[in-house]
Amino acid sequence: MSVAAGRFIGQSVKRKEDPRLVTGHGTYVDDVTLPGMLHAAFLRSDVARARITAIDTAAAKALDGVRAVLTAADLNGTVRGPMLPTLFADGAQGPSAPIKPLAGDDVRFVGDPIALVIADSRYVAEDACDLIEVDYEILDPIVDFETAAASAELVHPELGSNVGSTMATPPDESLDAAFAGAAHVVSETFHQHRHANVPMETRGIVAAFDRYTGDLRVWMSSQNPHEVRMCCARILGMPENKVRVTQSDVGGGFGQKYFMPRDEMVVVLAAHLLGRPIKWIEDRRENLLASNHARTDKADVSMAVDADGHFLAARIDHLEDSGAFPSGGTGGTGVFVALLFPGPYRVAKLGWSTTAVWTNTCGRGAYRGPWMFETVAREQLVDVVARQIGIDPLELRRRNVIARDELPYASPGGMVFDNVSPAETLEQAAALIGYDEFRSAQAAARAEGRHLGIGLGLYIEPQAGMGPLGVEAAGLRVEPSGTVDVFLGSGSHGQSLETTMAQIVAEHLGVHVDSVVVHQGDTDVAPFGGGTGGSRSGPFLSAAARQASLQIREKAILIAAHLLEAAPDDLDLADGVIAVAGSPTRSVTLADVAKTAYLGSDGLPPGMEPGLEVVTRYKAPMVTYSNACHACTCEVDIDTGRVTLLRYVVSEDCGSMINPMVVEGQIAGGVAQGIGGVLYEHMVYDDAGNPLTATFMDYLLPTAAEIPMIDYGHIETPGITPGSHKGMGEGGAIGAPPAVFNAVADALAPLGVKLTRQPLTPSALVAAIESAGASRSR
Amino acid sequence: MKPAPFEYHRPDTVAEAVTVLAAHGDEAKPLAGGQSLVPMLALRLARFEHLVDVNFVDELVGIDRADGWLRIGAMTRQAAVERDAVVAADAPLLARATPLIGHFQIRNRGTIGGSLAHADPASEYPAVAVALGAEVEIAAAGGSRTVAAADFFLGTWTTALADGELLTAVRLPVWSGRCGFAIEEMARRLGDFALAGAAVAIRLNDADDGVAAAGIGLFGVGPTPVKARRAEAALVAGERHPAEIGRLAMADADPTDDVHATAGYRTRVGAHLVARAVERALAEARGGQR
Ligand SMILES: Cc1cc2nc3c(=O)[nH]c(=O)nc-3n(C[C@H](O)[C@H](O)[C@H](O)COP(=O)(O)OP(=O)(O)OC[C@H]3O[C@@H](n4cnc5c(N)ncnc54)[C@H](O)[C@@H]3O)c2cc1C
Repeated sequence: MSVAAGRFIGQSVKRKEDPRLVTGHGTYVDDVTLPGMLHAAFLRSDVARARITAIDTAAAKALDGVRAVLTAADLNGTVRGPMLPTLFADGAQGPSAPIKPLAGDDVRFVGDPIALVIADSRYVAEDACDLIEVDYEILDPIVDFETAAASAELVHPELGSNVGSTMATPPDESLDAAFAGAAHVVSETFHQHRHANVPMETRGIVAAFDRYTGDLRVWMSSQNPHEVRMCCARILGMPENKVRVTQSDVGGGFGQKYFMPRDEMVVVLAAHLLGRPIKWIEDRRENLLASNHARTDKADVSMAVDADGHFLAARIDHLEDSGAFPSGGTGGTGVFVALLFPGPYRVAKLGWSTTAVWTNTCGRGAYRGPWMFETVAREQLVDVVARQIGIDPLELRRRNVIARDELPYASPGGMVFDNVSPAETLEQAAALIGYDEFRSAQAAARAEGRHLGIGLGLYIEPQAGMGPLGVEAAGLRVEPSGTVDVFLGSGSHGQSLETTMAQIVAEHLGVHVDSVVVHQGDTDVAPFGGGTGGSRSGPFLSAAARQASLQIREKAILIAAHLLEAAPDDLDLADGVIAVAGSPTRSVTLADVAKTAYLGSDGLPPGMEPGLEVVTRYKAPMVTYSNACHACTCEVDIDTGRVTLLRYVVSEDCGSMINPMVVEGQIAGGVAQGIGGVLYEHMVYDDAGNPLTATFMDYLLPTAAEIPMIDYGHIETPGITPGSHKGMGEGGAIGAPPAVFNAVADALAPLGVKLTRQPLTPSALVAAIESAGASRSR
Repeated sequence: MKPAPFEYHRPDTVAEAVTVLAAHGDEAKPLAGGQSLVPMLALRLARFEHLVDVNFVDELVGIDRADGWLRIGAMTRQAAVERDAVVAADAPLLARATPLIGHFQIRNRGTIGGSLAHADPASEYPAVAVALGAEVEIAAAGGSRTVAAADFFLGTWTTALADGELLTAVRLPVWSGRCGFAIEEMARRLGDFALAGAAVAIRLNDADDGVAAAGIGLFGVGPTPVKARRAEAALVAGERHPAEIGRLAMADADPTDDVHATAGYRTRVGAHLVARAVERALAEARGGQR
């Protein structure tokens, strides 16, 4: 099944943003320089949990070039409203970690900001940080999230518990019966370790408050400028329309920049207090230790399976580490981990629980596919089931995957899957990677003492469209000269929206893509929008842009019909020309129409409002679904534990592709993150809560050398949004981890190796191989 | 990640450099390619009042062969070593080790003198120097001296260099005759410092396949590069079983745990890498006269 490509939609139009970005001429927040601008640096806690008994800033204040040294005593009293995301600011979403601007009486993780130094340069600001003396009374930190709930020590004493949220299904006898009566019950416990988002551009902000006009001007590396604007207004007690926020080019966020982080709020408070423009650019060390972290999950999972390998019931008991100050609420994703756990399989019954706990570590935040642990836990469990009951993992998936003729399929998690193609992507991925041929090659290699493996990762990914997430806005203006300006409510931080939304407009309005300019990320220019995240821009923002285009097209045709004295139904708009069907000489250009609309309003149809411009909003359905299957092969050197990925394949279905090159680019980035997560990246704390991996020497990102070429297969099942586009921005990072994990586990299974924890470092693999060898020879 | 303030000096000769260094004692540090020093300054893990930039001291650059030794000036870039025909011919082990250092961007700036003076125990050049029996030339305001590589490395990031001293060159003996060389390492990603590694040089007798000389330098498995003396002696004494040589080599090592690997991993994999390198070096040596 596929969707016919259009003139622009479905074409790999080259990215409009690339000429400036790939030549190093983008405008990131650090490129913003204002007259009189000062520079900020944070002094951060270097202990995980302690009472602060004294802070001495005298020497820092005395340093030449230092303009201010602000502590909790100076700044915390200036906050006028909750420092929480707008979504949670009314307190209706359960307990939130008690965020204050600066740590005052105590510190709760290494990286907790204690003071903000404002100086003539960042160099001087850092020199001054070194001169601040903080006396700590060290307390025992809560570092291990698995024991945090039972700990007598509290991360947030004012909340009375380390458990931030917990939910569970009620006792269910039919579920118990399904497990009791099953031919096989396979259980395992999986851990996913702590990651960091690591955008290429770290966070940063320039904030300037003009005491005379009362205007606050903010430039910020953000995914969500309107949220930043609302936050600034709330914490300063200012009217929203006195705040302007600009997000220029953004070098990635992956969720880290979706809400307004605490540090940026502190800089805004300081700029307001001092009345001087302040720049704060987070450095890499801060980004690794004090921006939000991600993942850090554990689950006990079980599957009840009948004698023929059909899944009967599933259970997941999930625990997540929220850190000290999670960004954007505590435990919000755990429910989705639970509800999505059955995934693209026929599973009649589901039982679950999910708990989020606070620890004295950096807070958890959204990271590309925030609830993707459901896919990790499920897909890894499916392979364990396959091994235990002796069915090949591909065959086991075939027996259980939801078929097209079963759609819509009501999953026991309460989701109704429709317009998805998990079975088709499974088959396409298996064919692309040459599954059967690989199994033969694997057997031959094994006979030579080489260890090859293959892994699959199959999933359905929801794009949530409820509440504030379900509305996207677009403005469209045809200027008197006929050029087209588009104003997006959500802006790109790497998603290529500047290009893909221009394609949408070009297609539906009937102009060339080159004549469309996309404006985004400035609250004075762009209509209110909910920010870019959750893979929503493809399906929902495109629908808003389409809607705007069609409205303007309709108006342009009405004006043209009046000018040409033709019937609107006989007119077509293409390439910026509106012509009578069949007699192309009877035509006007879009520029003629626009000129009439603005400058020659007497020539408009009677009663028509002048102008050729619109702002429109699209209300999304509650949820749409996309799906994909990842497959990868690897070789493991059992002497060194080195994993070499041999081939990587993704079969995906995001409905109609707006731009196949962009789709593949988004997948590639996500896959690289997934591979990095399983094999290289690990944010490590020691028992005292000290982060051990706060530089790129130790937090290892994959480079081009570690990522294999990726082959793509596309299936285009139309979705339910107007353009039939479905979300796919996060998927690469969802499917890759279990595919890589399963491949390594498959390679080592003949040695009796059992893997349940990431990351799969050489050291961990050699230890697992050794202990399997030891237990076999026992 | 901005360095603390420092004063910048830019001498043009070794004499000027050592004068400035002598004047400031432990407050001064030479700046070579900056690939290790600058990140440490930026992270404020190291701070010096004076940086003496030796990038403009031309007499520190160059590769010369004389009297059975290859002399490489301290400021010779790793990239120059990598591409040099004399190095390839006379010190194949050094040539083969070089591409394993970081990435080409790093090798374009990083220097051989910097690698030796920095003395990271997981880096390749110190292990090669130890394996081959190299010597390090050192200049100071009061005169110059030469130290054997085996005596130069004292601990992690610590060498025999005293305050005020400048490493000016490394001298590598040219191993001639029926020789074979191999370097093996395990790093997590391409270009990373090794979790464990072994540099091996072997010379066979002309008459038979007995080992006349063996040099084994281990890296990543202790606070300094490790000269695997027991394994070297065993090879000369006729031991040929690779696993046993690997085991003996690791008996001289002292690996520790870190976030990337356990000591146990380093011991096991180090032995394996020694075995592989010894096998390859032996095969090359048997293969022909050099
Ligand atoms: C991403 C990355 C990966 C790397 N990977 C590797 C790797 O795999 N293997 C490896 O070996 N190295 C690696 N390195 C380190 C690199 O090789 C450095 O270049 C080298 O360690 C130091 O050389 P330099 O010339 O840059 O010295 P600098 O950084 O300038 O100096 C290092 C130290 O040596 C001292 N010093 C330098 N020259 C002299 C001299 N002539 N006399 C006295 N003291 C001196 C300095 O004072 C300083 O203390 C890597 C570096 C990076 C950034």
